Amino acid sequence: MLTWLIALPVVAAIIVALVPRKREEIHLPLGITLSVLPLALGAYIFYVFEPTAEFQFTEHAVWYEPWGISWSLGLDGISMPMVVLTALLVPIALGASTGIKTRRKEFVANTLLLEAGMIGVFLATDLFLFFVFFEVILVPMYFIIGIWGSDRRKYAAMKFFLYTAFGSALMLAGIIALALTHAEQFGSPSFALADLMTLELSQGAERWLFAGFALAFAIKVPLFPLHTWLPDAHTEAPTAGSVLLAGVLLKLGTYGLLRYNLGLFPEASVDAVWIMGTLAVIGIVYGAVVAIVQPDLKKLVAYSSVSHLGFIVLGTFALTSGGLQGAVIQNVNHGLTTGALFLLVGMIYERRHTKQISEFGGLQKVMPIYAGFFLFMIFASIGLPGLNGFVGEFLVLIGTYTTLPVLAIIAASGVVLAAIYLLWAYERVFTGIPEKEENKILSDLSLREISLLTPLAILVLIIGLFPNILLDKITPSTEGILDYIEVSTEYEVPAPGRLGDVFVAETEAEAIAGVDN
Amino acid sequence: MVTPDVQWIAIFPELILAVGAAVVLLVEVQWKPPISRLGLITVVTFVLAFVFTILQWAQAEDALRVGFTGDLVGFSGMILMDGFAVFGRFVLIGVMGLGLLAGWRFIESLGRRGAEAIALVLLATTGFSIMVASNNLVLMFLGLEVGSIALYVLAGMTRQKTRSDEAAMKYFLLGSFASAIFVYGVALLYAGTGEFEILAMRGFFSDVIVTTPAVILIGMGLVIVGLGFKVSAAPFHNWAPDVYQGAPAGITGYMAAMAKIAGFAAIARILITGLPQFDQNWAPVLAGIAAASMLVGSVVALVQSDVRRLLAYSGIAHAGFIMTGIVGGATEGMLFYVTVYAIKLVGAFAIVAAVSGSDSSASDIDEYRGLAKRSPLLAVSFAVLLLGMAGLPLTSGFVAKFGVFTEAWAGGYAWLVIVGLLMSVVTFAFYLRVIVVMFMDEAEGDRVSVSTALRWAVGIAVVGTILTGIAPEPLLKLAADAFPL
Repeated sequence: MLTWLIALPVVAAIIVALVPRKREEIHLPLGITLSVLPLALGAYIFYVFEPTAEFQFTEHAVWYEPWGISWSLGLDGISMPMVVLTALLVPIALGASTGIKTRRKEFVANTLLLEAGMIGVFLATDLFLFFVFFEVILVPMYFIIGIWGSDRRKYAAMKFFLYTAFGSALMLAGIIALALTHAEQFGSPSFALADLMTLELSQGAERWLFAGFALAFAIKVPLFPLHTWLPDAHTEAPTAGSVLLAGVLLKLGTYGLLRYNLGLFPEASVDAVWIMGTLAVIGIVYGAVVAIVQPDLKKLVAYSSVSHLGFIVLGTFALTSGGLQGAVIQNVNHGLTTGALFLLVGMIYERRHTKQISEFGGLQKVMPIYAGFFLFMIFASIGLPGLNGFVGEFLVLIGTYTTLPVLAIIAASGVVLAAIYLLWAYERVFTGIPEKEENKILSDLSLREISLLTPLAILVLIIGLFPNILLDKITPSTEGILDYIEVSTEYEVPAPGRLGDVFVAETEAEAIAGVDN
Repeated sequence: MVTPDVQWIAIFPELILAVGAAVVLLVEVQWKPPISRLGLITVVTFVLAFVFTILQWAQAEDALRVGFTGDLVGFSGMILMDGFAVFGRFVLIGVMGLGLLAGWRFIESLGRRGAEAIALVLLATTGFSIMVASNNLVLMFLGLEVGSIALYVLAGMTRQKTRSDEAAMKYFLLGSFASAIFVYGVALLYAGTGEFEILAMRGFFSDVIVTTPAVILIGMGLVIVGLGFKVSAAPFHNWAPDVYQGAPAGITGYMAAMAKIAGFAAIARILITGLPQFDQNWAPVLAGIAAASMLVGSVVALVQSDVRRLLAYSGIAHAGFIMTGIVGGATEGMLFYVTVYAIKLVGAFAIVAAVSGSDSSASDIDEYRGLAKRSPLLAVSFAVLLLGMAGLPLTSGFVAKFGVFTEAWAGGYAWLVIVGLLMSVVTFAFYLRVIVVMFMDEAEGDRVSVSTALRWAVGIAVVGTILTGIAPEPLLKLAADAFPL
């Protein structure tokens, strides 16, 4: 079934590519229709997904035996939400791409191939396969930015590609080293995540490998000071590119840190808690401060991403139940809200062909529905209680406070700063009286645009009000990671930071004994 | 009279190629047929030679299975038919077929001299094929010279005289110099061991402990330098850009691929089979050459504005990557890399020939502006080949790089692997520059006309690149079985 999740977008891309270039009007609707299929499959998987820590729906096929590489797929509570999010964002991103006038066929095919790659990264449970997907997605994204982006698109595309390729080069060295260590200890090389987690690594080796992996993922997240490619890529990318970049591609970094750095190098992870946490907090504050002074709306949202992703990394390296839960759920939340914000920026850009905040003003009067959605998403992004952002950031901050209290306190300022830059931007763009002539005649959102934003808004609300729908499926896996870290290192999660320590009595006698204890 | 022990099957592929070359020339002189007739003869020669390598492969496999490898040495120990030799021939002859397809338009454009070009291609393959298969260093030198001299002439065979002549002259002078160095090395190895045969040399070292190996080490060094020139590894690379740029585009890919395949096979054969006891001496040297090649090739390629010079410098970087595979003392990764790289190289130069004209001597990057709009299929093919060379996953380039890097890492050369990985990122940068020009710039000029033969050559290269990237198992298995005796 999981193979189909990857194969469906590829098949869809081939079908779109086979439609003759002259039938321009067909490509986009066809692409959207076909991309609903993986979404349906994803929704079904979400529904039948069992809340356990094990990988589910696993598939395994040997790729090349002597090298120990295999086509191994699996889903757990950490990857499942990301897969569903990816499948959801692609049709929406395509739906927002009616503004693409040139080479539509290639655009749709590229986006669908990107989807296959992104889903593959989350599904892979073999490091070789993971790396293949991790690297392959650069190409469609490179083309999306480079062909359909704005003025400095070539520069941004190149920067995006090279930055990420640089990081993954060192990760590949790490992967090779791991596989060869497996060959030394067990006789044959293996790239299976489960096999590599059993390796005995010396402290030095483990730290070097941790660093190699962390660098690759930190560039992707991006963590301060490796973030400089992100604003360029975001500002130059077309709307669909920005949505998928923020919604999914950046999550490859946070997902990778959670899955591979914690999973493969528990000892080094415990040692690196302060380093990673500090970098994350610097990112939170730095991103927020820089976002305040951005004159460009899209850049503002891009820098807010740097800030928000800092929370995810911080939660990951808090190494507590709340921190990990918060990190995973914030992965989804950020995809929904920032994805929606990029959509909204794209919509106004299509109307006014500018993203400069100073060009706008008073849009509330002219475009009330647009303003409503924008404000809603801003609130979600700030973390207003009742909306999804609150759940994630609250969990992260609580989880961090138990182990890294200083960082948690500084990080909390990020929430305040978010309110400043987002609400101030809202004030400048939407409130007041429209002064510029161009702004007075803007049309409000069309039915198509509303139908793109509504599903995101509904999910924002659902996760905000009933986070357990998601948390129940995530928690067993995050607890599994903590258990694993506790077993393989001397680290112990402090009691208030641990869900699993809650004593559950099965019989009356046990309950009494428990109370006595 | 005692009849000498002649196993004709040992040299059947080379015999067929040489006879084919002679027939092409004789037919041309006698009947002056249209070039397509000569093409027919070439095809027959190619198919026969190819089939015989497959037969040899079966024989080598059988011998390995029963464990008796005595049959694999023919012609009184001159020629080897082990998996390594047969694999090398197989690739050489296969790439020759691809090269002829890619260069057919160029051969046609030569008019009556087309027959010479065909004969030279067949003879060059003969020479390199003998070089790959020989167990004797003198024979290896003969093969090297037969092949190289044919290539010198091919480099000069174009109507746009000056550039091409310059390239041919430069290639000839520096090439002969390198050959001389190689022979000097062979002589010193003989002085040190009393053997010309590679297998016997290994036997010599297993019986004798050499207390003063200076002569042997100098000989080994000279052999490495001579062959390093042929494969255009830094710091012996300076001829490559000028020759790649000046030689007719239709045939450059073939020339470059041949020299690399045969050169690396010879390096591996001499060092890994003949001088394994000295791996503490040659492995660091090769590692240094590999690192230098990767650095020089990829960094200098960044600033090239001519696609052919860019491919030439990237070829230097690839020489470094391939050498990384030998450093670890294994040949599987190296053979796989050389094979898939040769295919991509011929395909890429076929496209260069299509865009700039098959006998032209320059291909400015501006000629590729907006190619994606003018000839989408050609642009996509070029992009696949370039990304394949850069080593993007799901192309053969990634599997190849992965293979050589894993071998080097296992051999204790982690630093070399890290240099290699970082330089791979740099290679992405310049390959992407070509892709930027093709896909992201506005179109200038017209649709590129592509001949059927060239279309086939490019098609085979592209499909091969993707197929061996997704399902590398068959070729990897072959390369793993093709270890030298």
